[in-house]
Amino acid sequence: MFATSTQRSFWMFKDENDVSNARLSANIKYISSRGRNMTAEERELHFLNVTEEKILIMSYEYQLRDFCRKFLPPMPRYVIGTALHYLKRFYVNNSVMDYPPKEILVTCVYLACKVEEFNVSMDQFVGNLKGDREKAASIILNNELLLMQQLDYQLTVHNPFRPLEGLMIDMKTRFPTFSDPERLRSGIDEFLEQVFYTDAILIYSPSQISLAAIIHSASTSKENVDEYITKILFSEDQKRLLNLIEAVKKIRVMVRNVQTPHRDVIKALEKKLQLCCNPDNNSESPAFKKRMKQSFDDEESFEDGQYPDANTDQVRSMLMGMSEMGKI
Amino acid sequence: MDGNDQTCPKCKTTKYRNPAMILMVNACGHALCESCVELIFAKGSGACPECKCALRRQNFRIQLFEDPAVDKEVDIRKRILKEFNKRQEDFSTLREYNDYLEEVENIIFNLVFDVDSTNTNKMIDNYKKENKDITMKNRNRQSQEEIELEELLEAEKAQQSEKANSYVNAELEEKKQKHKAREKLIDELMFSDADAKSIVASHVQATAALAKEQPKAAAQAGGPVVKSSKFSSGIQIGLRQNTSSFLPIPKQQDLPLFHYSAPVFDYNGPSPPAIEVLGKLKYFANIRAANATERAGGYTEALSCCRALQEAMGGLFYIPQSGHKTAVAASAEETDDMETA
Repeated sequence: MFATSTQRSFWMFKDENDVSNARLSANIKYISSRGRNMTAEERELHFLNVTEEKILIMSYEYQLRDFCRKFLPPMPRYVIGTALHYLKRFYVNNSVMDYPPKEILVTCVYLACKVEEFNVSMDQFVGNLKGDREKAASIILNNELLLMQQLDYQLTVHNPFRPLEGLMIDMKTRFPTFSDPERLRSGIDEFLEQVFYTDAILIYSPSQISLAAIIHSASTSKENVDEYITKILFSEDQKRLLNLIEAVKKIRVMVRNVQTPHRDVIKALEKKLQLCCNPDNNSESPAFKKRMKQSFDDEESFEDGQYPDANTDQVRSMLMGMSEMGKI
Repeated sequence: MDGNDQTCPKCKTTKYRNPAMILMVNACGHALCESCVELIFAKGSGACPECKCALRRQNFRIQLFEDPAVDKEVDIRKRILKEFNKRQEDFSTLREYNDYLEEVENIIFNLVFDVDSTNTNKMIDNYKKENKDITMKNRNRQSQEEIELEELLEAEKAQQSEKANSYVNAELEEKKQKHKAREKLIDELMFSDADAKSIVASHVQATAALAKEQPKAAAQAGGPVVKSSKFSSGIQIGLRQNTSSFLPIPKQQDLPLFHYSAPVFDYNGPSPPAIEVLGKLKYFANIRAANATERAGGYTEALSCCRALQEAMGGLFYIPQSGHKTAVAASAEETDDMETA
């Protein structure tokens, strides 16, 4: 149930400002840790700011959608929904520069398949990816634990699809004057697709989102379902009706403001990202590979019960210092 | 590792051919088959073929474990624990007891692997000197416990043998009685003038009556004689120092009886219809009907219908609030940042 879920207790925000603040703090944290020696203008030039990050994330969400659409065997929509949820949650807490979004993207999809019990073996999964399959498999497996950790191991996600079905059934049974709610389906599906690119899923409950979808679809086809809502759903609780109307309005506004980012903008941002990203987490960089190798070699020389705790941090700071010198 | 494949390191061949060969293990932990042992001691030289340490015939024990190293360790352990036999009651804190145990293990380890044996032996001797009296006391205590156990065992055995005896006795008695009865019959037939048939009939009745009485008598006399644990003056027989008497079970207060209250669920939305009334309210017309295999497995349309409705209704009253951890911290950070920048 959504009412008792961790999604409600830990992953909900008050409004869009709240979400932006969280992203801002992640962004600031990253910039301050990496750009200690730069002035404010240099930082502005070198690093991505919050709006740019947001645009990048949106483009990656589109990529995720496309990847899932072409996925074989065909992926049900709730898996896609869960994967998008994970991606959003991850980048609320972390900056885009810190962890490469491409890797996190595939890891989100893989994890979502597992959690939503859509059984795909690793071989099948990487078969849908282009490029080196083994490398992709190792990337996914390396990032899986990181992703789970950043999600606080709270993996159950409530999507709007089941509440939608419930509302449909209810409408057909209790509101027979509205003939054939199935006509609204295509509008609803479109709305729900768009809503996943907004932050509405982090602010409103899934049943509110699905109700907004129904209302939106009804209004686009010039129908009116208000009677259903006022008389049947909220017949006993008139005051809450206002709250719901407010919520539905806001959701619709958010969906209306969704803008697909322009391809050139994306390309420029990606280039900038390449420069300012964290080389330790980017599996392409030589620094990362060296660190991995070093941690492997170190592991063998441990005596029982004497694992050094600050070793990798020392290495990382050493490498960071080296890479900073190399860049400028 | 199959026992038959073990080779005696000295004569090597003999073990293969003779699966009944027994390996003996010596104090330094190496194994030798019986015939080799006899060979070595017949010649009079007492050196282990592998490590050349001096051996005595007595130090050879039949190997219990496949790995002779284990046997060696078991031996050393027995020896050490005879000296180091303190118990938890002898220590004031658990930590001390654990430290003591660790010390003991260290000593055993050192002796088994011949690490630092001179120091270890010194430590053992020191310990022996310091703790002689405690060790003695513990040994006595142990032996007392053993005595008690033995007594219990003996009492059990005595009980059993008595039972057996009583059964045997009962059988003998029966036989005697039968014999007597038959003789009586014959006497009566010989000497009395009454009709033969009536004598036999009365005799049969008598034996039947006797047969009924037998089991009763056996039950009375068959109970084993209980060994008296007290002298007539009240003094208890035998050393009974720690009679196991359990503490009386503490009386439980009368708690309030369990009362079932059904859980109340807050949907945070309009309440959906209960699962039982869904059929009446004609919800099933709008849901896919369950096919035969699904119904056989226990699935009904009510289940998925109810779930969908619950999820649809649940959360409709939800008012956005901030539950996310960084959201709370972010507002604090932002004010800080705005001050510094």
